[in-house]
Amino acid sequence: MSIIEGSVTIKGLVKFYGQHMALDGVDLDVPAGCCMVLLGPSGCGKSTLLKTINRLLPYDKGSIYLGQLPIEAFNPTELRRSMGYGIQGVGLFPHYTVAENIGIVPHLLKWSKARIDMRTEALMQLTELPVNYLAKYPKELSGGEAQRVGVARALAADPPILLMDEPFGAVDPLTREKLQTAFIDIQKQLKKTVLFVTHDVDEAARIGERIAIMQSGKVLKDAKPEAYLDKSLDPFIYRFLGREFPLSLLSRYTLNDFVAWAIKSHVIAAGTVANDGLQSLKSVLATMLTHEDTTYSMAVAKGSTESVSFESFRAFILEVTK
Amino acid sequence: MKIWRTCICFTLALILWVFFYDELVQVMQQWLPIRGKLLMRTPLYELAFQHMLLAGLTTAMSLITALTMAVMVRISSNPELESSLLSLATMGQSLPSAVIIALAVPVLGYGNGPVALALYLYGILPILRNAIAGFRMLPSAVVQAAKGMGMSGIQSLWYVDLPLIWPLVVAGLRTALVVNISAATIGATVGAGGLGVPIMAGIRTRDFILLFQGSGAVLLMALWADSLLNTWQHRRSY
Ligand SMILES: Nc1ncnc2c1ncn2[C@@H]1O[C@H](COP(=O)(O)OP(=O)(O)OP(=O)(O)O)[C@@H](O)[C@H]1O
Ligand SMILES: [Mg+2]
Repeated sequence: MSIIEGSVTIKGLVKFYGQHMALDGVDLDVPAGCCMVLLGPSGCGKSTLLKTINRLLPYDKGSIYLGQLPIEAFNPTELRRSMGYGIQGVGLFPHYTVAENIGIVPHLLKWSKARIDMRTEALMQLTELPVNYLAKYPKELSGGEAQRVGVARALAADPPILLMDEPFGAVDPLTREKLQTAFIDIQKQLKKTVLFVTHDVDEAARIGERIAIMQSGKVLKDAKPEAYLDKSLDPFIYRFLGREFPLSLLSRYTLNDFVAWAIKSHVIAAGTVANDGLQSLKSVLATMLTHEDTTYSMAVAKGSTESVSFESFRAFILEVTK
Repeated sequence: MKIWRTCICFTLALILWVFFYDELVQVMQQWLPIRGKLLMRTPLYELAFQHMLLAGLTTAMSLITALTMAVMVRISSNPELESSLLSLATMGQSLPSAVIIALAVPVLGYGNGPVALALYLYGILPILRNAIAGFRMLPSAVVQAAKGMGMSGIQSLWYVDLPLIWPLVVAGLRTALVVNISAATIGATVGAGGLGVPIMAGIRTRDFILLFQGSGAVLLMALWADSLLNTWQHRRSY
């Protein structure tokens, strides 16, 4: 019973803490390889949901399936070892070095020392931590570094499923953005099934392949981020996402995405290369807003430049969010 | 570094005191009051060794008992068990040692037995209290992480909980050991060995040099043990 398939299917999940109903019939389907963001206000039951999936908490009604099997079919400790769990508040072991922290699940799985060392170093690279940090203790790390170690620890045994509970809370916006970028890259490479908890709308829009909105123990809606531009949204969701949500959504796309689209739909000449193509469209928009003309200049292969108008950007956005 | 230096100083002082006190008294004889001819049958270093063994072994037993109790409380997470074990240990400590010894002599006879029992009971409470407080103060994120990573109950206890409360346990052990080193002297009244022997003899014969010899050794041994455990406690703090 240790082969865990990637998909997570939750049906009618109910969880009480004494009298308090923390989960009130949650339905959620996370396909294998999908990064599902759980977004919702504080206290809506996000952490509780992750803990029930991990069998840290028992639930009262409903069911959770991993692939075709209910979670009860697995041995709890084995189940937990095959899910990476990035806990809210990081929770690194203070008496272990960074290397020992990252290697804990492989150690529990009785990997050889050489294999653990190799894996640990690979994860340090993946999360962009300097290798000489391996011997440091958690108290010697900054908040952002500790969170990276937390992510590395969750990834250590290469689990098919990742549960991340606000892995990037409590760091400054710049570090946060870097961590998100790193996470997006990692996810592109590894294609895990991820449940990613946050209450940050920007973060959800940026990372999520799908976003599930939770409120007082229920999943109200689960859809692609672009689907939340719909005008006929539930008023709570509309208020929670905020009027700036379309802007947040822009940070999902890079200038390169735009260029690819623009060439395909003959807005700009083939062979155009964006200068600084990895920047997000949100920052492109910001640049345009602070410039005098309403166009954005890009280098073309021949050495000349091509200007792109605000309208073309809008056309792109309307197209991809359709 | 400073902690180590203190520890080394006390170790040296204790060794010097135990092995060279008699020599010192002889050298200084002309300035000291005239003493009656006194025959101490057992040399001081042997008494000191007995004393160390008596206090050390009983405190080690207290440590094992207290840790077992604390782990039981932790595993059962039963508040009633916790409070009843704590009050039991408090009782053990609040009974005057004289009473315990008096009650134990008819059963265990004269010698080391009764005082060992008293010291053992004395040592449990400080360690148990610290261990339980330590378990309570473990950061919940860390405890959850241990479980969430897939550690079994025993593994989490061994790899995470115990190492993290260890400094507190050692702090309790320090208290227990120091108290027991000084309390072990009372054993001489019921025929136990140790540094209580010269102290009692000194009191009986009003020989202050002898009294001073025993109590100085007890004092230095307590300071030495305290500083030794202090190094241990501080080696492990996070
Ligand atoms: N151990 C517990 N005992 C009783 N109630 C709890 C417990 N843990 C959580 N709750 C309650 O259950 C509800 C959901 O908690 P949960 O931790 O899942 O929220 P959350 O969505 O993760 O919030 P946050 O974004 O602040 O982390 C809250 O109202 C909380 O007060
Ligand atoms: Mg939470």
